[in-house]
Order: sequence, then C-alpha cells, then structure tokens
Amino acid sequence: MDRETRIAWLVDHYHHPRHKGALADADARVPGGNPGCGDIVTAYVKAGLGAGDRGTGRIASLTWEGTGCTLSQAAASILAERVNRDHPSFEEILSFVPETMMDLLGRDIAEARPGCALLALGTLKGAVKTVEMNRKLREAGHTDEQIRELRRAIAEQGEAAGVVVGEGAEQAAAAS
Amino acid sequence: MPETLAQVTDISARGYARPEVLVSTQWVEEHRNDPKVRLLESNEDVLLYETGHIPGAVKIDWVTDLNDPLVRDYVDRARFERLLRAKGINSDTTIVFYGDKNNWWATYAFWVFRLFGVEKLRILDGGRLRWADEARELVTLVPKYPQGNITVRERDDAKVRAFRGEVEQHVKRSGKLVDVRSPEEYRGERLHMPEYPNEGALRGGHIPGAKSIPWGRAVTPETHTFRPATELRTIYEAENGLGANDDVIAYCRIGERSSHTWFVLTYLLGFTNVRNYDGSWTEWGNLVRSPIEKP
Repeated sequence: MDRETRIAWLVDHYHHPRHKGALADADARVPGGNPGCGDIVTAYVKAGLGAGDRGTGRIASLTWEGTGCTLSQAAASILAERVNRDHPSFEEILSFVPETMMDLLGRDIAEARPGCALLALGTLKGAVKTVEMNRKLREAGHTDEQIRELRRAIAEQGEAAGVVVGEGAEQAAAAS
Repeated sequence: MPETLAQVTDISARGYARPEVLVSTQWVEEHRNDPKVRLLESNEDVLLYETGHIPGAVKIDWVTDLNDPLVRDYVDRARFERLLRAKGINSDTTIVFYGDKNNWWATYAFWVFRLFGVEKLRILDGGRLRWADEARELVTLVPKYPQGNITVRERDDAKVRAFRGEVEQHVKRSGKLVDVRSPEEYRGERLHMPEYPNEGALRGGHIPGAKSIPWGRAVTPETHTFRPATELRTIYEAENGLGANDDVIAYCRIGERSSHTWFVLTYLLGFTNVRNYDGSWTEWGNLVRSPIEKP
C-alpha cells in the first residue's frame, strides 16, 4: 500500500469507525488515554467464542469508544476490525508487539505519533489483563464486589504514586 | 458564516502589544492566493491536514519536519532552510501558521521558526477550528510551489529557549515559572498506561515555585480566538503576579503547550523576557534528585 492509499485508508477508518460503541455484556471495560494530547480510547472486551465458552482466553468481541486525533481513532477501528475477524487468543494479543502495530498503520505515519498509534493496542492489552486477572480472582473465591473493591484500592495506590490508571485515564486525558 | 456563530472582536481593538502577529480568518480568505503569503498548517493530529485544509496551505509536522531525527533537539540550519525552501518560502514571504487545538501546534512552529530568526510570522487567530466554524472552504488538494529562496540564520537558542541548567538556576533565584499543563498534571496525577510508549516521567508534580496557568486559559472557548489583552492581564498579571519585565520561563510536557503561553506573553502582552523550556516535564520529572513540588 503506498503512502497516499494508506492515508486514505486511515482517514476512512476515522470517518467510518468499525465496531465503535459500548458492549453491554463486556467482561472488561478499560479506558486509556494520552494526557498530552487528549486522545481517549475505551476498550470493551468479551471473552470466549460463544455462550458457555467464557474464560477460555480468547476474544469473542471487541468494541471501543473514543475521541481524539485521526490516527488514534483510526488505529482503534483497524484493531477492532482485525480482532473481531480473527478472534485472537489473549496470548496472541499480549504478544502483539508495538512494532507490528506500527507496521500495520504505516511506519512513516505512526512513528511521528507513537503514543496515538499505540493507544488502542495498549488499552486492549490492559483489558485482556483485566479479564484474565478477574478470572483468576474469581477462581480464588473472590466475589465481583470484592474484585471491584480491590481495583479501587489499587487505583488509589496508583494515584499516591503519581500514576493514574483505569477510570482516571479518561479524566486525565480529557483535562490536557 | 453560520448565523449563530459567536462574533469575534477585531484584533486591532483587543489591546495587544504586537497586534500585527495575528491575522483574522477574513484576512486569510483575502490573501490565500497572494504569492507573498504562505499558509502553514501545524497540527497535533498527524493526519488532520489530509482530511482537509485551507486551500493553498502546506503541512508542517513538528516531529518529522522540526525535530532532529536522532538527538532530542531541533533540526539544524541547513535542514531547516531546505524545509522552508521546499515549502516555497522566499525571504519576503509572510508565513501564517494555523492548526488544531486552538493553535497549540501553530505557536510551537512559530516558536521554532523564531529560533532561526525568521521574520514575518503570523498566527491565524482562532486557528483551524474558527475557520471550520465559519464554514469556510477546506480542500484535500495538496498544493505544489516552486522552490523558495529563503536564507535562514544559525539557530539562536539564547533568547527564547531555556535549558535545564538555566531552569535550575532560575529556581534557585526564585524566578517566575509558569506551568501551563493541566491542573491534573501540575498536581502530579499523570496518566500511565502499561505497554505503550508515552511521553511521561517517573515523577509527578511541578517545578518548585511554578504557577499553574493552563495554556488554554488564553483562548476564548466560544470563538477559539485569543482573549483580549485586558483579560489576559487579569490571568497572568493580576491573578498570578507576572510582570512585563519579569524573567519568565514557561514549560509543559515537551515544550509545545508552553510555546502557546510564550507567544501570548511575548506578543500579545509585550513581555520582554520569556523563554520556553522545551525539556519541560519529560526532562525535569525524570532527572535524578531534581526538586519537585507536589501538589
């Protein structure tokens, strides 16, 4: 794909985003953002390939919501299209290296804004880890309410260390 | 122009120290075919120009065009001159910057151009957003211009750029510092998402003594244009104690948002000694033993 065609492809994904919107029965909803430029991508991940197949470590569906620059939003749309086509395993997602995403989007464009190009991938990885961790916590006997409480405590610790994760990501990015 | 659009006061009536550095959307409309005027679009969004731009405008990208590809610095004189000539810029060309995010990146490009001593620089008041709000034409056709003949000087970092050591001395002297980031960044609540490179820092907070004046306060939200001088004086002078003859250093994360404040203080309020610390928080917040205040 030459540069001009690639730009047209990215702009098309920006104007006509695929799989955009909330997923009501998602196993994880994880927001991510770039505080420097205000890009926000929230990933909704449902695990398993069908009813009764939850927790098998594969993505059944991915949707996303977001606002921000052309590249960050196009990258989210392209990633969602691929994931919903291939239904990759969690392991495949976690081993999806940033360089591959940059190649997919076009290095000549993506390298100028790596944070924007990789926001969706980073957020998706965060969502996959959340699903996995929640599954392990449930297996260890924690209830959903206890898991939520644990996550709240982790987020508070993060803030004390100058780090904002999860819900705070949206506010931090929006405030930039 | 849409009837409901908020009206903009004439630039000449806003009391700026250097009103000639701003041009209105109407001025650009009337001069976009002027061979002595070159429109440069500078955005945070790397593909926004490609989605449509002011007819005749060329794109300038802060990463690929203005940053040195290896060292964290700006391009050298030879490379910068080649860039400008490739954009069809001559020695007598008036350069008008505009861009997204209320001209955040347009003022950044303006600041870098000033490092090289380029004259006849202007900012389109209200930027891309105002142009679009007024339903003015945007096109995707990329113009081609004959090679320009501009000659630029060696970069002079002394007057408008501050380096780490200078900031450290400035802090010791209790010099005036302006942190133009969001209040959340100033308070040290920065974002960190795992597994993607961000331009963050290992520590959150702000440089000791810095005042928090988010850059966007200089803009009227309804019109995206700069606030009149009286309102700017209230923000910078009355509320935060800055004076036109103070030695002021502005910073943000990598020096882009602070270039907006540098522009406001220098050209709109006539401050005589304002420097932009482009190392900013990504440098300061990663330095071993650098002093930090929080919140």
